[in-house]
Amino acid sequence: MPATTKTSSQLVFDGILNENPIFRLALSMCPAVGISTTMMNGLLLGVAVLFVQVFSSCTIAAVKNFIHPRIRIPTYTLTIATWVTVIDLVLAAYVPGAYKQMGIFVKLIVAFAIITMRLETFACRNAVGPSFWDALGMGLGFMFGMVSIGFVRELLGQGTLLGFDVLGFQPLLFFALPAAGFFCVGIMMAIFNYVELVYNRRKAKNR
Amino acid sequence: MKEILRITIKLTITCLVAAFVMGSVFAFTYNAKKHNEHLNERQTMLGLIGYGRHNDAPSDLKLHTIYRYIIEDRGRLFLGYLVPVRKEREESHELLLVTVEGEFVKRLEAPLDPESAIEATARDEVLKRLLEAPKTFSYSDSTIIATVGSGRSAYLLPGRFPGFKTFIKVMLALDPAFNIVGLEIMEHEEDPGLGAEITKECFRNQFVGKPFERLKTLGVVKEPLPDEFRKALEREKWTGASISPEEVDRINKKYRDHDIYALTGATISSKSVTTGVGNMVKKFSYRVQALDRVIAAQKIPVTF
Repeated sequence: MPATTKTSSQLVFDGILNENPIFRLALSMCPAVGISTTMMNGLLLGVAVLFVQVFSSCTIAAVKNFIHPRIRIPTYTLTIATWVTVIDLVLAAYVPGAYKQMGIFVKLIVAFAIITMRLETFACRNAVGPSFWDALGMGLGFMFGMVSIGFVRELLGQGTLLGFDVLGFQPLLFFALPAAGFFCVGIMMAIFNYVELVYNRRKAKNR
Repeated sequence: MKEILRITIKLTITCLVAAFVMGSVFAFTYNAKKHNEHLNERQTMLGLIGYGRHNDAPSDLKLHTIYRYIIEDRGRLFLGYLVPVRKEREESHELLLVTVEGEFVKRLEAPLDPESAIEATARDEVLKRLLEAPKTFSYSDSTIIATVGSGRSAYLLPGRFPGFKTFIKVMLALDPAFNIVGLEIMEHEEDPGLGAEITKECFRNQFVGKPFERLKTLGVVKEPLPDEFRKALEREKWTGASISPEEVDRINKKYRDHDIYALTGATISSKSVTTGVGNMVKKFSYRVQALDRVIAAQKIPVTF
């Protein structure tokens, strides 16, 4: 894949919508299903993934010429593990309030496919600048996906939003369980695909 | 061959750089992390016994830590309690050796001030000097006794037990009669959204007020938490809103002897906490009463 010709805003926008990691690329489905039980969980994990994605992408983009092709995957894994550890230690030492809420999520990120995939398909072929914008878009897209699924599941499963009681009752406890995560992701993927279909049709009509 | 060598060298360099970065950050942040953990623990302890932002701790509130060790001497097991004592105007420690049945064996002076005793390495050095070979010792757990003036106001027990995934670390607060006055989940690795809900007030606060006798048979029920009970439990959420303190008391009394309502989709985590807390209280009550008998019989000048 040759180096990208997209602008920074296109890279960010693509990561949020056209190439949304959850709804379009179908990556990192495990956290999308398992952790998105509330909006706050989704937001915190999204923030953690954003930081790891950005730092990892910039690091790999900076050292891509020194990575041997045969050992690129172990190198990506080491880079991601290093950044996850650094963020975990720094949060625990200097931002204890945030660490109390986010600590458990940060440790999970090492195994996420989205980070490794983006290093392989983008960061190792582009300079630091475009890699930064691409990583930012992917991180924001992941956060958007997690928060939207969390919104639906928390509202329908617990009757709350961000911990605040909205409905006064729990409409469907089923939405608190992992199976509901699959339903939510599937339905939102369908919505994304439908919106793209309608958009492309209108674009073709206008031509 | 050259290729293999190149790959090996690059991979080794990558690993060394990663290890160096992680090691440096760890060394740089270690003290700050320990300080935060200590502050967090102290804040949690005071919060558990009812002191916090809305209720300042009295000036004569003191926290005294007792460290428990398992000591082995020629195949025989003993319990060693490192207790804070008052010697004239100084505070120091003594090591009390008792049998597992709670009978007094020996007392030894342990030259440790309360600040130094917090560090495990300092305690270990003193114990190595006091307990000569072939005796060996290993740290078991600690208990914090809160005193206001000369009387005991609460016991604080850090503890851990197996959860659904790995371990759950808790801090439990008991009144002098061993009834639960507070429970805080300090660390866990339960599933977010499922087992991780054990940190929520609607679960933790079910244990508060449970009498000691009830804890011996406390179990878990897989029923939905009643709405009125949820409102009474979620005190931080409902403070000053639609429920009065008298109503909270009435509801808590109504459910005091009830089993714990399990979390949806997290029965194992709920059972782990219920069993773990019950075991902690049962074992502690037995041990502290045995220790108190030894302290009284030997007239040890403890600070608590």
